[in-house]
Amino acid sequence: MMTEATQVGGAVIAAARTVTKIYGSGETEVRALNGLNADFRRGQFTAVMGPSGSGKSTLMHVMAGLDRATSGEVIIGETLLSTLNEKQLTLLRRDRIGFVFQAYNLVPTLSAEENMVLPLQLAGRKRDQAWFDQVVGAVGLGDRLTHRPNELSGGQQQRVAVARALVGQPDIIFADEPTGNLDSRTGHEILDFLQTAVRQLDQTIVMVTHDPISASYTDRAIFLTDGEITSEMGSPNADEIYNHMRSLGA
Amino acid sequence: MILKLVRRNIAATKGRLLLMLLSIVLGVSFVSGSFLLADSLRSIFSQITETAFAGVDAQVRGVEDELATSFEPLRFPDDVVDQVASLPEIELAEPSLTAVFQVFTVAEDGSNNRPQGPPVFAGSWAGESEVSAFNLREGTAPQGAEVAIDSTQAETHELAVGDQIRVSGPGLEDFLPVTVSGIVTFGETEALGGAYFNLFELETMQQLMGAEGLIDGILLNGDDALSNAQLLAAVEAAIGDHPDLEVVSGTTLADEQSGDFNEIIDILGYVLLGFALVVLFVSIFIIYNTFAILISQRIRQFGLLRSIGMTGSQLSRIVLIEALIIGVIASILGLVGGIGISWLLKQLFAAGGGEFPDGPLIFKPRTILIVFGLGIGVTVGSALLPAFASQRIPALAALRDGAAARQSSRSRRILIGGLVTAAGAALLLLGLFGSVDTTPRLASLGFGAILLFIGVAALSVLFASAVTRAIGRPIEAVTGLTGRLGRDNASRNPQRTAATATALMIGLALITGVLVLTESLRSSFDKILDEAVAADLFVYDDNQQFPFASTALDRLGALPEIADVAGVSDLRVEIDGGVESASGFDVVTENRVLDPKLTEGTYAAGSDGVLVFRDTAEERGLTLGDQVTVRFEDDFTGEFSIVGIFDDNALFGTDWIFDRAFTAQRQNQDAVLFAGATIADGIDIAQGQAAAETAVASFPQLAIENNAEFKETQEGQINSILYLVFGLLALCIIVAFIGIVNTMALSILERTREIGLLRAVGTSRRQLRSMVRWEAMIVGVFGALLGVVLGLVIGIAAVTAIPDSFISEVSIPWVWAIIFMIIGGLLGMLAAFFPANRAANMNVLDAISAT
Ligand SMILES: Nc1ncnc2c1ncn2[C@@H]1O[C@H](COP(=O)(O)OP(=O)(O)OP(=O)(O)O)[C@@H](O)[C@H]1O
Ligand SMILES: [Mg+2]
Repeated sequence: MMTEATQVGGAVIAAARTVTKIYGSGETEVRALNGLNADFRRGQFTAVMGPSGSGKSTLMHVMAGLDRATSGEVIIGETLLSTLNEKQLTLLRRDRIGFVFQAYNLVPTLSAEENMVLPLQLAGRKRDQAWFDQVVGAVGLGDRLTHRPNELSGGQQQRVAVARALVGQPDIIFADEPTGNLDSRTGHEILDFLQTAVRQLDQTIVMVTHDPISASYTDRAIFLTDGEITSEMGSPNADEIYNHMRSLGA
Repeated sequence: MILKLVRRNIAATKGRLLLMLLSIVLGVSFVSGSFLLADSLRSIFSQITETAFAGVDAQVRGVEDELATSFEPLRFPDDVVDQVASLPEIELAEPSLTAVFQVFTVAEDGSNNRPQGPPVFAGSWAGESEVSAFNLREGTAPQGAEVAIDSTQAETHELAVGDQIRVSGPGLEDFLPVTVSGIVTFGETEALGGAYFNLFELETMQQLMGAEGLIDGILLNGDDALSNAQLLAAVEAAIGDHPDLEVVSGTTLADEQSGDFNEIIDILGYVLLGFALVVLFVSIFIIYNTFAILISQRIRQFGLLRSIGMTGSQLSRIVLIEALIIGVIASILGLVGGIGISWLLKQLFAAGGGEFPDGPLIFKPRTILIVFGLGIGVTVGSALLPAFASQRIPALAALRDGAAARQSSRSRRILIGGLVTAAGAALLLLGLFGSVDTTPRLASLGFGAILLFIGVAALSVLFASAVTRAIGRPIEAVTGLTGRLGRDNASRNPQRTAATATALMIGLALITGVLVLTESLRSSFDKILDEAVAADLFVYDDNQQFPFASTALDRLGALPEIADVAGVSDLRVEIDGGVESASGFDVVTENRVLDPKLTEGTYAAGSDGVLVFRDTAEERGLTLGDQVTVRFEDDFTGEFSIVGIFDDNALFGTDWIFDRAFTAQRQNQDAVLFAGATIADGIDIAQGQAAAETAVASFPQLAIENNAEFKETQEGQINSILYLVFGLLALCIIVAFIGIVNTMALSILERTREIGLLRAVGTSRRQLRSMVRWEAMIVGVFGALLGVVLGLVIGIAAVTAIPDSFISEVSIPWVWAIIFMIIGGLLGMLAAFFPANRAANMNVLDAISAT
């Protein structure tokens, strides 16, 4: 396994190796991930697509160390997640991974700014002010930093969530339908921003989406069916994706 | 349909209801326990007295005067016995003489055998007969130098028939050696609340009491062919020439006796009930909180119900029916729990030396009604506010996070909270200062306190956020982020924080109030000792502060080592038509031993003079030389002139001082409550104390204490009151503690997603745990702060209201106040233990995807 990990090389920042995730057992057994292999490279914006129930969210959770694979290996940088205990996994999430959920991303008692630096504070790390300003400038929330989440619109809240993922300069950010709850205009703002983060701030983002237009913001789209990657598309545009999805019958 | 929803809701949330249920059940159990215990004791004692007096047809005794202070009945010459016994209607006439706390059996070391608390009775006993209340369990009836003792005493002090023992009595120069002739039971009862009985032949009893030729009652058994009325009429005629004697029937006697028992049982029952109600009151806030939280957790569900057409009142009905069901369950459990509580209380009393006789538990319908009424009433009543709030849940709540029910406005809260607080304060003041009877005063105090607590609880919502933020500031400064999050959480929902804190506030406010009282009592006492007392030695019954025969003082006065002895006796007199407490004081000692601080006139009261307290003199417009009409216990009435005016009524606790040399003759029994003595020049205190102890060795109930010892004993007495109150109020604190656990646990469930999020972004379990702990600690300190401040206010008001003759100084227990805050914080932290673990152990993914 170790040799395999070193083989991944510097460019691959996160990888899944024959990852299987099984929920339940016996009659009720569900194979959410079925021996899946995937590489995610630094500075790459990846879209994960596929029909409902194909295992997209499960993949995000397992990759981000929120859940453990039943078998196979998830590698972040050079770390094999299976070798980490619960506490080390928490620290890994805190220091090296960013996560954006579909909704409910912010701690309601903390202001936007405080939410953004939360992982840093948890780690007791000092914030890199220049980087922070750059992120804030990019999210365009400069005047809303002191507001509480309930004083922000849904789109603004999501942007804060993305900013929080970025501020810690993680190795990789996983986002599970980050625009799923937003109207299309607000959604595109977020996508623009994610794209900017990858292009200009050299971040690595993996994003689950159902929307071909959203996927067209990315560098690469991978398609999941029944817990396996069935196809992949470089620099996708919306029409191609749409057609491809129709061919998959989704 | 609604019922189905209710059932599903309860089923889905039963874990969350458990702690709340526990808090109601505790309160309700205590209520039912106090009723069960009191009812059972009443029935046991009425049975005991019935059997004890079963053979007594009538009793001749002295007529009790309203001015009587003695605990023993009036004595009269024993020649009356012959007058009555010779009546043809009478078959048996048995004279008796009794005493309370005067005659003791004496242990090897010269100390008396007495239980802690319960009384020691002594009396004459002519053996088992129709009129005898006692039964011999072993041995024979006492004759000559013999004593029969009760089985409790025999067991406790390992005494058996045939043992040689000494007894003490106020009529003796020294102890009297006697033989234990028998062990008796009162009726068939082994343990009568832990009381001791020492029984003697009449002549011996008279000798012990120094009451030769005197008796205090004649028990009569008449011809069974006659009616009780005929018997009473015949006896009445026979004692017609003794206006100070009366005859009463055996049933009257039994009723009076069980009435006396009932009085004590009532007090016990009310005290227990009082504490039970306080506990129940505390649980109101927990119930309120639980329902409020449960509703906010189900706000989406409720919003959904609203959006599909359920009306607001249907929604609140769901909540109320839930409360009703829980109230019924709590009442049933509480009724059963009451059995446990009453058993526990009995064990506690037994451990404290006051064992109660065994008997069946009495479930009166009244108890069941009250328990159900309170259990259901409290639960449904506390759920009313949350239920009405649920009416205002918008349909939108189904669709959006954070769309909460509209809160009542700030100004309305200030208005209502302010009104309730003011009404509570007014009632409290009325209860403290109002010149009404005791019962309405107590009621007004109770209601006042309840309103005050509710009012403060309502108002505290206004400043809960600000204060908890302030409390949390140093924590955040020290601990950083986890403190910050805990601080935020403590202040984010002021309503919840206020209700949780209030539960703790009530117990601590009461404790602090009592502390202010006892501390003030202590410092008032110290002040008296420092300023008004020159005595080197203090002489009193150290167990019960029971009066003792004044012959003890005569013996002390005769010692060369003693300079002055000043005794104080308790009197009730009628002054210008009103009954007053007064003191008999050895005025010849002036201010040399005890100093009432004469401001005008002299101490020479003699047999026609009286000293009066300055304020009372002013009130009545009395000046030196004025006359008042005074009637004494023995009906002696005379004109007394004011010979002196004194300044310190705290020393004796009364406003009138007579010469004890004179009042001793006016009293039914020449008894003294307390005495001080100074030691002659050139004799050191230890030597004088030793001499005094030897001189009154035959009064084993007397303590001869020097200044330091006296102070210590008195402090001990104050402390034991304090511990009792602490013990009972501890239950309040326990319930409040349950409340904090409950709120924290529920809040954490409510914040499941938030916790999941915190974990997802890398908060460690430890950080999460300490976050929860800090939150609970802040809430605990907030509650303690409220309680201490309120307790200080109530305590100071009460001390101010209590007459200076009892408490003259206000003393504030600062150290305790700080200790309570720390305890509040610790309680909070402790309460957070389980919820914090629960938060830390949540599965991140489950938490984040929880709805
Ligand atoms: N906790 C769980 N227990 C059991 N089965 C689960 C669990 N979570 C997911 N599954 C199952 O695993 C499969 C993959 O689920 P997953 O949530 O990854 O799908 P998805 O691709 O994200 O779908 P969607 O597009 O609807 O979000 C589904 O069949 C789902 O039912
Ligand atoms: Mg999904």
